[in-house]
Amino acid sequence: MSETISTADSADTGPLAPAAKRKRPVGFYLAGSWLGSIVLLGLFGALLPLRQWDLASYDYLGALPGTPGHPLGTTQDGYDMLSGLINGARISIFVSFFAVLFGGGIGALIGITSAYFRGKYDLIVVSIFNIMLSIPNLVLSLALLSTLAYSSPDKPATLQRRLIILILSLTIVIIPILGRIARASALQWSSRDFVVASKSMGTRNFTIIRRHILPNVAPAILAIGFLAIGSVIIVEGSLSILGIGVPGGASWGSMLANGRGNIAFSPHEVYMPAICIALTVISSNWFGDYVRSRLDLREAKI
Amino acid sequence: MTNLLEIEDLSVGFRTPRGNLQAVRNATLTLAPGESIGIVGESGSGKTVLSRAVMGLLPSTATRTGSIVYQGREISDLPRDEVRDLWGTGMAMIFQDPMTALNPTRRIGSQLSESLVVRLKMDKGAARQKSVELLRRVRIPDPEGMLRKFPYQLSGGMRQRIMIAIAVSCGPELLFADEPTTALDVTVQAQVLELLDELRAENNTAMVLVTHDLGVVAGHTDKIAVMYAGDVVEYAPTKRLYASMKMPYTEALLNSIPRLETPTGSRLPVIEGRLPDPTKEVAGCAFADRCPYVSEKCRAEKPPLMDAGDGHLYRCWFPIGGVN
Amino acid sequence: MDFLQILAKRLVGLVVIVTIATFLLSLLTWLLPGDAAEVIAGGAAPQVIESIRQDLALDEGVFGYYWNWYTGLLTGDLGRYYLAGGYREVSEVVGQTLPVSLQMLIYAQIVSLTLAVPLGLVSAYKENSRFDRIVSSTLFTMVSFPSFALALIMSLVFAVQLEWVDPIGYVAPSENLLEHLKLMILPVISISVGLTSSYTRLLRNDVIQTLKEDYVTMAASKGISDRRILFRHVFRPSSTTLLTSAALNMGGLIGGTIVIETIFVIPGIGYEIFYAIGSRQLIAMQTLIALIATFYVFFNTTVDLITQVVDPRTRERRV
Repeated sequence: MSETISTADSADTGPLAPAAKRKRPVGFYLAGSWLGSIVLLGLFGALLPLRQWDLASYDYLGALPGTPGHPLGTTQDGYDMLSGLINGARISIFVSFFAVLFGGGIGALIGITSAYFRGKYDLIVVSIFNIMLSIPNLVLSLALLSTLAYSSPDKPATLQRRLIILILSLTIVIIPILGRIARASALQWSSRDFVVASKSMGTRNFTIIRRHILPNVAPAILAIGFLAIGSVIIVEGSLSILGIGVPGGASWGSMLANGRGNIAFSPHEVYMPAICIALTVISSNWFGDYVRSRLDLREAKI
Repeated sequence: MTNLLEIEDLSVGFRTPRGNLQAVRNATLTLAPGESIGIVGESGSGKTVLSRAVMGLLPSTATRTGSIVYQGREISDLPRDEVRDLWGTGMAMIFQDPMTALNPTRRIGSQLSESLVVRLKMDKGAARQKSVELLRRVRIPDPEGMLRKFPYQLSGGMRQRIMIAIAVSCGPELLFADEPTTALDVTVQAQVLELLDELRAENNTAMVLVTHDLGVVAGHTDKIAVMYAGDVVEYAPTKRLYASMKMPYTEALLNSIPRLETPTGSRLPVIEGRLPDPTKEVAGCAFADRCPYVSEKCRAEKPPLMDAGDGHLYRCWFPIGGVN
Repeated sequence: MDFLQILAKRLVGLVVIVTIATFLLSLLTWLLPGDAAEVIAGGAAPQVIESIRQDLALDEGVFGYYWNWYTGLLTGDLGRYYLAGGYREVSEVVGQTLPVSLQMLIYAQIVSLTLAVPLGLVSAYKENSRFDRIVSSTLFTMVSFPSFALALIMSLVFAVQLEWVDPIGYVAPSENLLEHLKLMILPVISISVGLTSSYTRLLRNDVIQTLKEDYVTMAASKGISDRRILFRHVFRPSSTTLLTSAALNMGGLIGGTIVIETIFVIPGIGYEIFYAIGSRQLIAMQTLIALIATFYVFFNTTVDLITQVVDPRTRERRV
């Protein structure tokens, strides 16, 4: 028998692991407050007494940050940066939240049922997931978006339509990512004794899934969901830079894409949205990692 | 004769999330050149930690106090680099599980010749020749072919022989063998122990044999230290220990060995109860809860180490055969 | 299982995946509102559109159309870019652009691995030290930092404001090596930052696990120096994990280069995909995506097979 005494902190993933003490890490509060204020600004930013984000003021073209009336300056086209960023928060959060919500929901449903019922259905699901995952995220969403977003020249796409198509494409991209995780997690749980016991009592399959499997799989999906929000924001930004995301400077990525050409004259057009995107992605990753490390601890205690 | 190894008041603790875990308390042992000592106890008694502490192979969460004198030199406060100079050439260790103690990604030859090249500064050819010779000495068939193999291609017994070959490769004066036979078949166990005796006789190597099995140490050691919950509870020359053991715990350990004369179907006597929580200090004797001869005094006061003469030490208020 | 059997099984899987993935793409193209030939040629003369329709077998239904493309792909005919005045072979374009992208990716891999190996080893060796904590939290932040944001900020600072390098463009190494390297600096750093972070984290966690193995204690008990233990006994088993991840990244990175190549205007395959999508070159796009998927699955398979050779542990598992 080995008498080596193991120390407790072996399940570490991020920088959170060493600080497995009761105290929450500083990063948790920083990430939390950034995400919180972005969501609040996204939801209620329109109520603030600010300029309209899509109304150019021709007296201020490319004004520097600190200009009266335009605290964060304006773009070369005279759009106010502050209200643009707040509106961008709304669109970016809207797009990523719904894409992850729908993608996660559908993915979880497919993943859990396929893990629970196994058989041919499972085989087909796994094959489709693998096929979709064999194409890089961005390439898949590019392909989907470029075909779905096609509109004839005489009927130009509206912002709403582009947003819907963007969310739809991103949802399709998210489904196999979260679906595979849900399946892996559900696979573990559906072989546990309490599930088998419940089955032997004649409980209906969907009742078992709802009562026993879903509550156990949900935290894992939630944690990965936060990470997925980060990746969706990156993909959205990349698509905008490639010119097929949200048009007209409505999202952060779109502001970045519009500002790229003016980088030499008004650098704030580039670095402000870039920093917003970066902070949001970093925060949601921190958050996801934190949730996951808590989850690992909970798992370890069982 | 001067002693090869003198351990005095050696204590080892571990920092854990639940507080300090006292794995070894004030152990005092000596070992002469060529002599062998068995450290016996249940798992969790601190025997492995004791042997690793002497060598200095403890994780960073461990704290060690006390004195360790090796060949007349205090080594407990040496910097790691100087202690390392002793490893392999002075003291070497044979690990418990041959399945995990060999690097799965490197060939037997490179693992065997590594200390020869690094520690003895042999050139490649000489190291290879010596490796073959070592493999032959541990009775490995086709030693040349063995050099090119990976651990996964070998049986447990083979791997254990190879580990022994690695341990003795630089001719150490002191060998630590941590449960060297536990992971092996009963038939292979005896062979491995005999092999160890043989190799030790050739070089007059001393040995610390760590095991939970009193039956294993009987024929292969000169003296025995029995450990319980971090304390050395009985310490005596092997023959004397078997002739007149003092500790109820030692008796219980001996009774738990299966014997050939045990009628088939009869239940193996096991020691009832469990070791006390090592993160808590016990007021009286740590074995009290499991001892058949327990009395009030045992729970109230911890027995000191008592001397029964002829180098026989024990730690009990009511020893078997009474106090001398 | 036999090595060849595994190889055969993997190859079949590769073909199946690529076939199905491209068929789904064809279906998408087919379901587009309007006629694909019109989409591609966009306002060209009716004869031109008709000849494109012939070319792509658009009249033969979705299966005929797909079969036409698929057999073409198998025989090395990758399809065409239909330009205003005629067409360009996709194979020719791929031949010109793929080496540029691969070159950039290989630079990025070299830079990332060179940085990640010492960082990962040292921070694992000094687990929970101040050094480890600083490196870990910095890298965790860096891995989340979008590469395009980094690319734009860097080109703002180093190209526009400090004027150390040119903000965009590409020069072949055979033309002017110094200029080539100077232009590659920013794109390679943009890709490498995230890559370095994920490699370091991966290696660190793996090495920490390996350091707990019995055979590491065993190696220490031979009296070998820590440095030798780290490189000889720990790095090799851990490096297979790193190698696997590095190769798996190659496929994904090709996707990531689309944005970086667009930002820095580098004529690589990523930029080509962007161009194909932008100009609605559906056939070219389908071919390029098929190539990337093949590339990706091919890399995964190769790595799996190599890992089995390098790391005997995986062989042991199958016994």
